Amino acid sequence: MAESIWDSRRHRVVTRKGGWRIGEGVRVGAYSLLDDMVGKHTFFELLFLEVTDRMPSPALARWIEACFLCLSFPDPRIWCNQVGALGGTLRCAPGAAVMAGTLASDSGMYGPGAARSACEFIAQVTREVRAGESIEAIVAQRTTRSGRLRAPGYSRPVASGDDRVGALCRFAAELGMSEGEHVGVAWRLDAHLRTRGSDSLNMLGYVVAFVLDNGVSTEECYRLFTLIVNAGVHACYSEAADEPAGTFLPLRVDDVEYTGAPPRALPRERIR
Amino acid sequence: MEKSRHTQFAQRISTRIWQELTDADNPWLATDARCHGYAHSEMVAQLDYPQTLFLLLRGELPDAQQHALLDRFLVAFCNPGPRHGATRAAMNAAASGTRSQHLGAIGLALLGGEHLGSGEVEQAASFLARHRDSDPAVVATTRLAAEEPAENIADRRVAAGFGTLFGGIDPQAAKLAALLRATPGHWPALEWGEGFAAALRDAGCGWLAPGVAAAACVDLGFAPRAAGALYQIASLPGLLAHGLEMSRQGLQAMPFVPDENYEFLDPRADETARGANA
Repeated sequence: MAESIWDSRRHRVVTRKGGWRIGEGVRVGAYSLLDDMVGKHTFFELLFLEVTDRMPSPALARWIEACFLCLSFPDPRIWCNQVGALGGTLRCAPGAAVMAGTLASDSGMYGPGAARSACEFIAQVTREVRAGESIEAIVAQRTTRSGRLRAPGYSRPVASGDDRVGALCRFAAELGMSEGEHVGVAWRLDAHLRTRGSDSLNMLGYVVAFVLDNGVSTEECYRLFTLIVNAGVHACYSEAADEPAGTFLPLRVDDVEYTGAPPRALPRERIR
Repeated sequence: MEKSRHTQFAQRISTRIWQELTDADNPWLATDARCHGYAHSEMVAQLDYPQTLFLLLRGELPDAQQHALLDRFLVAFCNPGPRHGATRAAMNAAASGTRSQHLGAIGLALLGGEHLGSGEVEQAASFLARHRDSDPAVVATTRLAAEEPAENIADRRVAAGFGTLFGGIDPQAAKLAALLRATPGHWPALEWGEGFAAALRDAGCGWLAPGVAAAACVDLGFAPRAAGALYQIASLPGLLAHGLEMSRQGLQAMPFVPDENYEFLDPRADETARGANA
């Protein structure tokens, strides 16, 4: 009987990522962490390498770092940042607060949590365009009877339009990075949607199209941007942690509206 | 150019669950609270934990049969056990000196997974809710026919909550299902799951713990999201117990894979690969 996968992995690690040999050093794929990486490559090149097993071009790594900058609003009204601020006011350890804020950003509405569906959407639309489908037909297929468009990467909560897209476009041009097929389709979709109303390409939609054009898969994209909000969460945590405990957006009793059942007595017959 | 959508946000938080009663002298203090209308102070004196959980999540007290099933559920899933990755995460952290207040969050973060975690419980509850009016044998036949053989090098999932565990039928999950199903009352999701597991048996598959948990939650009237949450609540004591136990034992108490058992598939062994990467 052939050895099972569980028997072959029992007490054993098999990895292509790298590892630490005491006295020999640390390897990250083909690279020595201390000899080949430190001082020669940036953190974002390393992050990309560790996620994908591929060393990115310096330009791509800088562009991904710029994406992280674009999601680093130090504004505690932003949902994930507020989690960080609440962690600060509750005197949580920074790791707990930033982890909680990071988990909060794994949302279907915004942030890295929406990256997978945005990637799948733009990849599918690109395949359909490649097969000869018109943008108009693609949009019609994804519009509900009530007129609501299902298009991850287009529109965003609270605001319409997205200034970050322009900033990232300009930076890509400065880096000499050209736009590929997915970004081209994303812009065509954007142009069509703008004629219909307020939906337009948001940062997430642009970013996923850009990285797809640079050979990043959907799963790699979801993983690469996991911590993208972390600087903003750090900021909001830090300020709240430096303020007196319990003073970030405190609520009075009457700040919470109760809409549930009226006062009632516990039924005697059901108790224990 | 960005423009505000002028989204209308709520002015106040609104909840149907909890009502605090304001202190007459200080509007920031509460003198008591009500949970779905019942005075918290009376609940403390008169309710047990399963009743309280049911009330919090469903808005009403359980009847005697629901109470008994939830009581068994909480014991059945009190501990994923020291081989589960979520428990091992809490143990690994504890052994390596992680602050004890993080152990619950670490364990629960991993217990959220879609493989043997609350993610799978949620998916299994959706599956059961979707199919409970169909013949389980027919659903089993359809699902087995749709399986991709290439996916079967590790564990199989005929549906979330049903398949193999380490290549076999999990006897413990089947036993838990029987114990929960034996609770006095009518439990159609557990019955349906039993029929589905029986129809999978010849294919080498059966109940998995998340499927059992999901079926019990569906029978208790919980929505899939609440089912996942309830599984996390139930499992937290075990995660914490193992973490706290390990925190007293120190770094050497957890195995550290020796170099001879650490196989690095070195891309330097293939210069072509390195050239492609660089």
